[in-house]
Amino acid sequence: MSGAVTTPRSRRQARGRYGRVSQVVTEIDERLGVARGGRTFLDKIFPDHWSFMLGEIVLYSFVVLLVTGVFLSLYYVPSSTVVTYHGSYLPLDGMPMSQAYASTVNLSFAVRAGLLMRQMHHWAADIFIGSMVVHMARVFFTGAFRKPRELNWTIGVTLLTLAIVNGFLGYSLPDDLVSGTGIRIAYSILLSIPVIGTYLAFWIFGGNFPGTVILERFFILHVLIVPLVMLGLVGAHLALLVRQKHTQFPGEGRREDNVVGSPMFPVFMAKTTGFLLIVTGVIALLGGFAQINPIWQFGPYEASRISYAVQPDWYMAFLDGALRIFPSWSFHSFGHTIPLEVTIPAVVLPGLLFGLAYAWPALERRVTKDDAIHHLLDRPSDRPRRTAAGAAVLALLAMLFVASSTDVIANFFHVSLNTVLWAMRVLVLVSPFVAYPIAYRIAKEMHQLHGAGRRKTPNVVTRTDEGEYRAEPAPAFGDDAEEPLAPTPVPDFIEAEPPAPPSRGTRAVER
Amino acid sequence: MLVGAVGLAALSPLRALSAAGAATHPIYQTGRHDAGTPNSDFVTRSHGHITSYGDSAITYSAPPSTLKALGYALYLENCATCHGTQANGVPVPGTPGAYPNLVGLGPATIDFWIESGRMPSADPRSVQAPRRPPRLTHHQALAIAAWINSLDPSYPYIPTVHLRGGNVATGMALFALNCAACHTIEGDGDALARSTFAPSLRNIPATQVAEAIRTGPGNMPRFTGNLSDYQVRDIVKFVTTEIQHPRNPGGFGLGGLGPVGEGFVALLLGVAFLALIAFWVGERQ
Repeated sequence: MSGAVTTPRSRRQARGRYGRVSQVVTEIDERLGVARGGRTFLDKIFPDHWSFMLGEIVLYSFVVLLVTGVFLSLYYVPSSTVVTYHGSYLPLDGMPMSQAYASTVNLSFAVRAGLLMRQMHHWAADIFIGSMVVHMARVFFTGAFRKPRELNWTIGVTLLTLAIVNGFLGYSLPDDLVSGTGIRIAYSILLSIPVIGTYLAFWIFGGNFPGTVILERFFILHVLIVPLVMLGLVGAHLALLVRQKHTQFPGEGRREDNVVGSPMFPVFMAKTTGFLLIVTGVIALLGGFAQINPIWQFGPYEASRISYAVQPDWYMAFLDGALRIFPSWSFHSFGHTIPLEVTIPAVVLPGLLFGLAYAWPALERRVTKDDAIHHLLDRPSDRPRRTAAGAAVLALLAMLFVASSTDVIANFFHVSLNTVLWAMRVLVLVSPFVAYPIAYRIAKEMHQLHGAGRRKTPNVVTRTDEGEYRAEPAPAFGDDAEEPLAPTPVPDFIEAEPPAPPSRGTRAVER
Repeated sequence: MLVGAVGLAALSPLRALSAAGAATHPIYQTGRHDAGTPNSDFVTRSHGHITSYGDSAITYSAPPSTLKALGYALYLENCATCHGTQANGVPVPGTPGAYPNLVGLGPATIDFWIESGRMPSADPRSVQAPRRPPRLTHHQALAIAAWINSLDPSYPYIPTVHLRGGNVATGMALFALNCAACHTIEGDGDALARSTFAPSLRNIPATQVAEAIRTGPGNMPRFTGNLSDYQVRDIVKFVTTEIQHPRNPGGFGLGGLGPVGEGFVALLLGVAFLALIAFWVGERQ
């Protein structure tokens, strides 16, 4: 550029390839020093397998939950105070109801886009937990929870527990006839815990059911405390993912000591942004076109009223199913009632299931004596026993889920409710023992099958001079060839520098 | 029960006339006579018999007694095999099963069972008679009711609900309190114990809803003293408007199955569809 003449073109050239963007970034970097970290971040490698994107459905529906939830909290009034409704929904006109219910009806009918937001929030919650379960199953069946990722598995199980709890809390907030029944069941479950049950229930409800404070307490738990903890755990979950790097399936050039995939920018960013928009779009479409939880048809909750055919949301259904099918066993001794028919299905069973989930990585290490670090995933058929165990638990949960709609099944198929009840008892007990050997068998067969999971190679039939026919499998395709997976040394996570000799008092470190 | 019958005999003009009937039929269902009795705002009489009674909410009218002869012929054709030629529940010899005595049940009961298609029954041994397309016309049902009523005049008469003044909000509250425990709050009905079920209310005319409330068919309790005619009208209004024509401002109603249907939609349309999208976007190796 000559000093005398400035033209638009020369000015453009002077700004460089990225123009003003580069200038702004430079300004920021000079103050915060983000260039190096940012470069690493933008170059972070994401393996591309589709099943790694299941967790993103969870993340993005969580985002939708937060946004729509903030909108709802602007209009919802967490109060059990009884008011008389005089709003735009005429069939409820003049009915006494809690302010919580009245405000939920109002935000559905009198607030612009209120119903859309409510329905999106509810659909997003159902999808949030659903995709969480699917993501967890992916992690389980591919062995992604193994060393060094046990902590992240633990965080994930905690997130699932909190999500289910928060889903129940949110379901209870409108104080309609159906959710009020749910709170009553929760109260009974608390009561059934031996020794501390009554104290716990009184402490949480501030007295006997229904009390006057439970909606207020549920509200603050639902909108602040539980989401805050979840947000922190989601952050930790993702930070650990970045720190420990992604797992990957074995394949050509994929080893324990590398990560093969697309960089964060531009490939992964484009994909994931698109996926965010698709997840939001699907939730918005469901919220706009599919009615969910029409509380105005249920009416307000009153302790004296009840509706038949009340089910919880799908993620609580396994508990409801267990409660429904458990025989009515309880015993009375020392002046106390021990309601085993509630304690076992509603306290012991979920305790065992989630305890098993928490303990699984340690259990598996104890059984397999495998103490190595794993960054390459298993295919489910590689580990028949783990796959079969997972299938057994899923079968049990699925049957408990079905058992929560015994009445719907009986009514739909015109069979006796008692028959359905007994059938579900048998199915729940039998299903894990049927699922385990079937899954084990399938995994074994797939593993031993020649070329399972690879493109089929043709058999070449030749006729020898003696007239004998001989079939020989053709050599495998180039990129399908078996690659010996020799264990390779894994580098430490921290590029350890030689430790400086400790000095007392003031120290100097590099910037 | 007997004490109640004696007490009611003093109150009810018609019971006094037919007190002898109770003695001849030991399983006589005396308790039914306090339902929708003419303890009402207006009572119409003709030749000494009460032909209709009621208030501004519901008018109960007797089936025209001129149809008695036709009713008897129809009864012998359609009902006598099981209920007996005298409607006393003694069937033709050799017929299996035990059948209810119809004498003194009141026209509303007879009308409800015939007009809802439950009688004549397709399978007399089934645990619960399901609703079917009616086999007899309204006129024929009235005739049979007229003949049975002539054996031992009793209540309630056939109701006509004046829906105009009904209050849907009160109806909803009363429905939640009295009906939702079996019929569900959305009125879909559901399975009860041992193959019995509470039927769906989605497609039931106002008259039959009122008849069912007042007479308590099958397993259903009979609502008499605790619901006034005005309250019954409110319930009928709620059932025939909000339950039979639900407004679904939120979009497709998903069959009114509640969280069961919603769960399937969330998992199949939501999670599975999004997983398919991931399958499309991601690498399949």
